[in-house]
Amino acid sequence: MSGGFITCAGVGKTYTGKGRPVEALQGISLACAEGEFVCLLGLSGCGKSTLLQMIAGLEQPTTGRITVAGQVLDGPSSETSIVFQDHGLFPWMTVRANVEFNMKARRVPPAARRARADDMLALTGLTAFVGSYPHELSGGMRQRVGIARALTTHPRALLMDEPFGALDAQTRGHLQAELLSIWASQRTTVLFVTHSIEEAVFLADRILVFTPRPGRLAAEVMVDMPRPRLPTSPEFAAVAKGLRAMLGSEGGSE
Amino acid sequence: MPRLSRLAGLLPIVALVAAWQLAVSLQLYPPVLLPAPAKVADSFVRWGPTILANAGASVLRVVIGVGLAFAVAVPAGLLIGRYPALDRLTDWSIQAFRSVPPISLIPLAMLFFGIGDTPAIVLIFLSALWPLLLNTIFGVRGIERTLLKVARAARASEALVLRDIILPAALPAIFTGLRLAIGGGWLTVVTAEMIAVKSGLGYMILNAQMTFRTELIFAGIIVIGAIGLVADQSVSRLRARVCRWQEGLLAERE
Ligand SMILES: Nc1ncnc2c1ncn2[C@@H]1O[C@H](COP(=O)(O)OP(=O)(O)O)[C@@H](O)[C@H]1O
Ligand SMILES: [Mg+2]
Repeated sequence: MSGGFITCAGVGKTYTGKGRPVEALQGISLACAEGEFVCLLGLSGCGKSTLLQMIAGLEQPTTGRITVAGQVLDGPSSETSIVFQDHGLFPWMTVRANVEFNMKARRVPPAARRARADDMLALTGLTAFVGSYPHELSGGMRQRVGIARALTTHPRALLMDEPFGALDAQTRGHLQAELLSIWASQRTTVLFVTHSIEEAVFLADRILVFTPRPGRLAAEVMVDMPRPRLPTSPEFAAVAKGLRAMLGSEGGSE
Repeated sequence: MPRLSRLAGLLPIVALVAAWQLAVSLQLYPPVLLPAPAKVADSFVRWGPTILANAGASVLRVVIGVGLAFAVAVPAGLLIGRYPALDRLTDWSIQAFRSVPPISLIPLAMLFFGIGDTPAIVLIFLSALWPLLLNTIFGVRGIERTLLKVARAARASEALVLRDIILPAALPAIFTGLRLAIGGGWLTVVTAEMIAVKSGLGYMILNAQMTFRTELIFAGIIVIGAIGLVADQSVSRLRARVCRWQEGLLAERE
């Protein structure tokens, strides 16, 4: 488990707040190669967000070690960007200001900020909305802004926590396809959390299956299908069926 | 027809004036106690310069007192809301001090600062400080947690977080505090002027009572109410402009 762009070795996390400690994750070891599209799949509560936030440097692992680009993590890495399900856009900033925020935080000069933001806005189809406020946008548009903002700093890995989880099926389908084309053009690594089997099979090169209480890595599934993948094809259905069995009888689909 | 329906707000006032006129016509009270509306209207002309000068003095005190309170309470509130250690340090004191009605401090204010502008401004400052401070703290606490995670993941400096995230997030609550502060300051100034100052609307009213110019008392009360109304409307308009990005506020205004 070494030599990956992102690696976890024996990573565990126990939340100790008020009340009983909660063991959210136990013994997670994984490696993610540069340029790979990896989905973390599991039912809700099995620690997927916890793991992603630890990889983003927002939470400390209780045990084990995480590396990004060969560096042991100690806070957020400049090589990664995170996209949240509830988009995390600043409601008082226009689309442009939101997209420029990560660069502003890194003290990128305004002219360079503007140019890079324009590129990423064009890439995500947002050029017409630069002056809008988040509340004026649809859910799909807001996620596009979140993705554009994440991409501005040339991250080598994009960490996405159920980014399309709150969207209707049609919008979600569009954004999944757009994400794949962004991934193909930007050549970033993507670590994508989802509880949807279909989403994972549609997107991933490799799927890591989690089981709950405490969250553990139960299986690893390579998805060896050419893209674009057709959810109605027999191979797609076969992979999905296998995953459904691993997630347990409780379900797995939407 | 939003304009026309707004005018409905004048109806109770018109009704009150009509009832007042009726009471005068029926001679429920001797005219020296209850002057006719026309006589009060006339006193606005007769005592115009006096009313204007005293109103100006009162308004200036409130502007200074609330302005100072704003300059202290907003930065302090942002910091207390942001840093739990500061909150633990100050919470009990704030709760204790804010329970003291500013009026009860008039005797002390006079002992320390004598008669004049200083005790009045100190009292206004104190009555404006607590609502501004508490609302600012409340506004900071209400910030969406994802937004702070976005900032942390972007490795934003603390100064950037305070200026671009904490402050704007707290702005709607700060405006609520400002409305309460101006309202409280206005109440306090009139009271303080009746006791500790020799100018202003409070002083003018008290003086009019001693010289049996009841119509001037009425005129003074009307001016106090009108200025209060205008101030409150101005703040709420300013808030709607500054916080344009907030959906709820937009809906409320239109
Ligand atoms: N900040 C936290 N404090 C305490 N417990 C938490 C916290 N975040 C998550 N948990 C707990 O950890 C477990 C895993 O949560 P999470 O990582 O959000 O799962 P998932 O993203 O797979 O739904 C859950 O039992 C959850 O209640
Ligand atoms: Mg989650």
